[in-house]
Amino acid sequence: MSEDVDAEFLGQEGLAVTGKARMEAAYGSGDGDEELTAQVAQSSVVGGTIFEQKYRPWRGELNPRWMRNWSILRHHLLGIVKKGHKPWGWPMRMALLSCFFVAMGDLSLAFLGTVIGDSDIYRLFGVSRGNLYGHVLGFFPRNAICFPVITALLIGGMISDDRRHGTSAVYFSRPINRRDYTAMKFISIAVILGLLIVGTLVLYYVGDILMRGEGWAWLIDTFPAFLLAALAGTILVFTYTSIGLALSSVSQGRFFPAVAFMAIILGSKLLAFLVWQLFERSVIYLISPYDVVAHIGQSLLGLSSDYSHPWTWSLVSMLLMNATALYVLTSRIASMEVSRE
Amino acid sequence: MESRSEAIRADENLKVYGRPRQNRVAAMVENVIQTNSLTKAYGPHIALDSMNLKVQHGATGLLGPNGAGKSTLIKTLLGLITATEGEGEVLGFNIRTEGEEIRKRIGYMPEYDCLDPRLSAVDQIKYSGELLGMNPSVATQRAHEVLEYVGLRDQRYREIGTFSTGMAQAAKLATSIIHDPQLLIADEPTNGLDTQARDFMLGTVTQIVQEGGRSMLMASHLMDDVEKVCSRIVMLHKGKLIAQGRIEDLKGIDQEIEVHAWGGATKLEQELNNSGLKVRRTGRVLRIIKDDDDAYSTIVEAATKTGCQIRRMHDHEPSLEDLFLVIMERLGYEVKSSEDLLATGPSARKVDAPEELKG
Repeated sequence: MSEDVDAEFLGQEGLAVTGKARMEAAYGSGDGDEELTAQVAQSSVVGGTIFEQKYRPWRGELNPRWMRNWSILRHHLLGIVKKGHKPWGWPMRMALLSCFFVAMGDLSLAFLGTVIGDSDIYRLFGVSRGNLYGHVLGFFPRNAICFPVITALLIGGMISDDRRHGTSAVYFSRPINRRDYTAMKFISIAVILGLLIVGTLVLYYVGDILMRGEGWAWLIDTFPAFLLAALAGTILVFTYTSIGLALSSVSQGRFFPAVAFMAIILGSKLLAFLVWQLFERSVIYLISPYDVVAHIGQSLLGLSSDYSHPWTWSLVSMLLMNATALYVLTSRIASMEVSRE
Repeated sequence: MESRSEAIRADENLKVYGRPRQNRVAAMVENVIQTNSLTKAYGPHIALDSMNLKVQHGATGLLGPNGAGKSTLIKTLLGLITATEGEGEVLGFNIRTEGEEIRKRIGYMPEYDCLDPRLSAVDQIKYSGELLGMNPSVATQRAHEVLEYVGLRDQRYREIGTFSTGMAQAAKLATSIIHDPQLLIADEPTNGLDTQARDFMLGTVTQIVQEGGRSMLMASHLMDDVEKVCSRIVMLHKGKLIAQGRIEDLKGIDQEIEVHAWGGATKLEQELNNSGLKVRRTGRVLRIIKDDDDAYSTIVEAATKTGCQIRRMHDHEPSLEDLFLVIMERLGYEVKSSEDLLATGPSARKVDAPEELKG
């Protein structure tokens, strides 16, 4: 141990960290092998250097706009099933899975009716205009619990998280404009909701065909109703997404947008129901996003309407709701800061 | 004195606007950022006032008190907000019409948190690369490289929410350099760092400039940091450009002699003032502006005459802090240190501005 080494390692002065280690034999025989040593590691690193900071340039090409937009979409969608993308959290995943099973309940019961040969069960749950409508726009349990809860969980942190964590700076200091940012966030939510609402409708319809081996005449008979139900489901997805994202864009937390969304969907429905009970005027349902879409859906599918006012009023109400929500969404995103929030 | 005013004054004869695209590379070598009468107004409030800015290749410090217009300038340069009047180019691209091209080529490190705390560092950096248009596989590889470069190799799979301030700052730097940008805009890169992390951060950004050959615009409140990293500064105040140029050139304008006097400093100060020298005094330390080489003999003569003992006398090497104080004094402010003016406290911002600054 030399005196002039100004170093201390593991409590011993003068001991430099050289990368070499010495290990004494642990189990000697005691007949002179106490002095034996085993060298277990040899390092070529000089002077204990373990980190060399070296700048590495990059000369690659950056992909165009569509690839940047795809990366936003991919980040949000893959986060549902994969780590390394947007962390959705297990409550959202569990709720999504539960709602998927609920949404597939009609197909399961139709399958049961077919298997046991009970035509009454099939009539109740098999493909028909009423059941296609009910699959996307039925109130309980789908639009009373499943779809609003899933939408609330999805939109809760969609934009508000970017405000809270300042991640909007990562987006806007890159060649991503606010229109693309808004569109990709919207599409991300709409795709997940669409898979749950319209995607399960497709599974329901196709599953029924495969289960019963339906022929062309049945297909020609039911396919327009299926398409119209899909259209009604798409309107529902669009309306829920625009209202939900508008709420997410005005907040910095997850709780407010989620609760506010549930309050708007269920509260307006409840209020309209109470007023209707008192005054028997269905026009009050124009304030309820669910009911305006349901009214449009009933008209599209040619079902007897639950509402006494013209369906075009509901169409106008739905357009106004979406326009207002999209206006709030775009104006709030336009005000998102890149330097500080 | 004339040379100081020349250095402070912005050059108004900019001629690169309207230059064909193929000549932009040549222009970039001269100035990575150039503005001509750039003005940004929010209603009656003028955030940037006819700014003629020239930022050359290399490291440049962006200094100014709160509300000076630094953030507005950065946002305008990024093409995120539209200037009310005037023109500007960043890396040869017009800030009004080519914001996306600019943002592809620059790296922006914000002052505030900008990372998702629930993502691991490597996933966050990779995503930020994908947002620039990198392929996912390339972004992944590059994320590992830059995280190693900023000293987070062993921490790259940790969630960002568990990072210390220094590690989070390093991760922000990694986010901004994943695509090896030509220009790095770093807003307070040493914010909240301890001495060790601060030295590492400053060393890293210095290496990016010197070894990587990149340019950097570094906004900071810390004069020492700017002086360590940058060779040039741009100083803003109340939306106006008040100084820009090489730090050495700006500092060389007022050379001073520092005298440590003993027994009669007040008399010596009076005598020096009578001799026509300009003296600043704090206790027994006097700083005398060195107009010519005769200043030394004048000081010795004055000391002899007054009987004051001179313990030390030498040329004073001005710091950026001194430069800042001189500039502020020229603008009519009474400030004891840069912190007085750069501090966030409301009283600091109540300093009355002279009329020419619309105070």
